[in-house]
Amino acid sequence: MRPVAVVAASAVSARGLGWRGLGQALRTGTSAATPCEALGGILAAQVPALPAAQDVEPRQRKLMSRGARLSCVAARQLFQEMPSLPREETGFFLGVGASGGAVEELEAMLEGSFSEAHFDVGRFGTAGLNACNPLFAFQLMNNYTLCHAAIREGLRGPNAAIFSRGAGTVLALAEARYAVASGECETALAGGADSALHPVTWAELRRDGYASVMPGEGAAVLALAPQGTGSSLAILERCEVHPRRQQIDLSLESARRSLIAFNPEVVVLAASSGRGGSAHEIAATVGTGAVLQASEFFGETLAASAALATVVALDLLQEGALRVGVLVAGPDESLGIVGLVREGTS
Amino acid sequence: MRREAFVRGVGAVSSLGLDWPSTAEALARGESAVARVEHFDVEGFPCQVAAPVRGIAEGAEDRRREFALRAAREAWAQAGLEAAPERVGVFIGAESGRASYSTVLALAQAAGGGARFDHGAFGQRARELAPRIDAAAVSPAAVASMLAGEFRARGPCETLSLACSSGAAAIAEGVRAIRRSEVDVALCGGVGADVDPLMLAGFGLLGALSARGVSCPFDAHRDGFVVGEGAAMVVLAAERGNARASVAGVGRSLDAWHLTAPDPEGEGAAMAMRAALREAKLEAVDCVQAHGTSTQLNDEVEAQALRRVLGSRLAQAHVSSVKGALGHWIAGAGALGLLCALHALERGEILPTAGLRHPDPRCELPHVQGTALRKRVDSALVNAFAFGGANTSLVVVRA
Repeated sequence: MRPVAVVAASAVSARGLGWRGLGQALRTGTSAATPCEALGGILAAQVPALPAAQDVEPRQRKLMSRGARLSCVAARQLFQEMPSLPREETGFFLGVGASGGAVEELEAMLEGSFSEAHFDVGRFGTAGLNACNPLFAFQLMNNYTLCHAAIREGLRGPNAAIFSRGAGTVLALAEARYAVASGECETALAGGADSALHPVTWAELRRDGYASVMPGEGAAVLALAPQGTGSSLAILERCEVHPRRQQIDLSLESARRSLIAFNPEVVVLAASSGRGGSAHEIAATVGTGAVLQASEFFGETLAASAALATVVALDLLQEGALRVGVLVAGPDESLGIVGLVREGTS
Repeated sequence: MRREAFVRGVGAVSSLGLDWPSTAEALARGESAVARVEHFDVEGFPCQVAAPVRGIAEGAEDRRREFALRAAREAWAQAGLEAAPERVGVFIGAESGRASYSTVLALAQAAGGGARFDHGAFGQRARELAPRIDAAAVSPAAVASMLAGEFRARGPCETLSLACSSGAAAIAEGVRAIRRSEVDVALCGGVGADVDPLMLAGFGLLGALSARGVSCPFDAHRDGFVVGEGAAMVVLAAERGNARASVAGVGRSLDAWHLTAPDPEGEGAAMAMRAALREAKLEAVDCVQAHGTSTQLNDEVEAQALRRVLGSRLAQAHVSSVKGALGHWIAGAGALGLLCALHALERGEILPTAGLRHPDPRCELPHVQGTALRKRVDSALVNAFAFGGANTSLVVVRA
């Protein structure tokens, strides 16, 4: 199996486009929270207006969930940063959320479903659905977060859309890494895209105990290739998930052991404030003690959180760090670990 | 030396049977479960037929989990394996479940209950709404999580959401996890529970469903697919045991072409098939379990891609699709295809394409029509192609 390097990256977050400088911003900055209209005015980490060169055309936006639009933006930015990346047989592995469906479409659907101020099931199945975009179903299908970007950029290689509330995106990174390491493809894009700014998603998060969380949105994508085939930003040394469904203490302990074995100088922590206590404890006892809190900076970005934390780690390596770990503990109750090292130090 | 993914157990719930043997027997006889929908009013719907599962999970909040659990128990019992919990992984193809009408009603009320969606009102009332949203019923991951708990699996737990290729992609992930030694046992498969008003209306509005109400893959009169539902599960293991088949090849590709239509040249589909055959070190197979949805363009493109990939060797393969009998299971379709291919290997019986009466010349293939074809099968190709252009092919061989 070939060692795998990160050769390019891109990100879109509440901090705007780009990943360089995010490490320093996390150390010194505060979250760019603004009131979110879709969530009744609560503070959220929203992506600011996007430059037209990266953003999708207004006509296309009607076909997309917010996550799909953000994944398109991140993928476009990646290819603008590194146009020499091949596309035809490039793999694409993405952690995706289930936060689809424009509220405007929901509004039209509900509007068509009322009869004399009462919700009518019969009208919902006919007039309600007729009132909304016929392609509304495709805003709701999770794979389109991946497929929209693949169509836009001409990516045709092996692929997977892995449902993620956090650590699932680490599985997407692991699968991409394996696809490159095993020779299934020579290059692969991997990352995650999602938005927690959807009213239903936000209501679910509150129901699940994340009342104190600040919702966020974003996307980040890494380009992976065999080590030695191009300019390397980092070596992707570790990608693993420790499930937390049963015997939580054992899973925490195995994650802690793994992170200690990786021996990072810095840990970038993507853990929601609601239930991320255990992950915070682990991070605090590993390495040299430097812990950067990504979730408080980007907000809870669900399927994007692991990928955004990983591009922060990548930035820290460019600033001089040798080994940076990422610890992810999203609402999916699993712990994910990503380990990046500067080339020549593994 | 590469670790193999041996097939140790299979299970299914379908509209023709609540386990795999009864489903396969009915399919072999050429039976079809496609019929007019009776359990809700389909008057005015663009397509009024489907292949719903009857007899279990009726009225359940999340029918996906009921189907998947029953199919997984069947597969698990057949496998009879014992493995350390942390060496068992779960890989499931599933899409989001459907919110109940009471949830939709709650949403409407929280948004003001009037003609306009009031963001402010919704934000303020969402706290009251939250308990009414059954996240477990709508989350794609709920199926895999439930199965992991049921079978005490503490290894990787993945949910693949790739629309119509989800089930096949989940099996591909299970195979990969065994090969890279992350797990010794993988419970894999797919589930769809889409015979409901929302999906029938949604797919109908897109024009994807058969207005004639007939599922007839590769037929000259095909005019769209019919929604079906069910679950198909397989237990893969690194240890051969009494296995008679293994998954020897996995191929995945993207069309990068269009949101709803396949690449008319079929190059994406061909890439996935070629990759799976290359990994299995094969140039020919004895049968093909086609995606075969019964839509105009998909069937023609798949047939064209098969002819290009297999060339003159296509003559020795026989091609079938069970969507004529069971409808299209969406996220479960690829996993069902794998079970049909395994049936061909183990029983020497290729299941027929129900509904196929007048093969379309543009879909010229060695079809299996009427009833099952008896033939020794040593290798089979399984195709699953999704909306949005995500393709997965699998190759199974005699162990």
